[in-house]
Amino acid sequence: MISEALMYIGGILVIIGGICDFFGALGLLRFPHFYVRLHAATVGTIGGAVVPLIGAAILALGCDFLGWIRYPIAGMSFITAILILIVSPTATHALAFAAHRSKAIEWKEKVCDHLEGVKR
Amino acid sequence: MNAENLLFMILMIAFPFYLAAFVLYSIRIVKGPTIFDSVLAVDCLSFDLAAFIAILAIYFRSAFLATSAIILALWAFLLDLYLAKYFLKREVGI
Repeated sequence: MISEALMYIGGILVIIGGICDFFGALGLLRFPHFYVRLHAATVGTIGGAVVPLIGAAILALGCDFLGWIRYPIAGMSFITAILILIVSPTATHALAFAAHRSKAIEWKEKVCDHLEGVKR
Repeated sequence: MNAENLLFMILMIAFPFYLAAFVLYSIRIVKGPTIFDSVLAVDCLSFDLAAFIAILAIYFRSAFLATSAIILALWAFLLDLYLAKYFLKREVGI
């Protein structure tokens, strides 16, 4: 009974991760320039890698037919999830800082005043 | 519905999303105007491949396959740091 529940939870997390991954990739393709694409990259990385890794860990724990192999697989995928959770923001932050500081990608001001023409 | 059919069904639902995402990432890698865009796409691709490898490790029932996910995730992190360091200081420091 428990393993069925674990398999369902892990499977749902893996599928959610796949959908997040697809939307992150779509965002990375459609967004105008590098700095906006960082958001899509973070969606694709955290939603598309950490969530399915935790789902894979739970799914591995639920699969009884794997025997004892499911424990190392679950442990390793959980460690990878924590690792990516720590590493991914650092990496994208380093990229953004380097892109801005080295002026490889110039920063276009995107501030627009929506309340400009509104009279009280 | 025994456990293996359930696992197979779950994976067959999730696999198309991952493959479509990998194709879109590789399009951005090839098309990327600046090197930062393509390295960002390679970074995301590597992290999602690490997740995909962990899921395949369950499917192929081998614990050794899951070890490569950790190394791939760390490698993607190193790639970003090397690029950032190169663009800031013109040397990578190896």
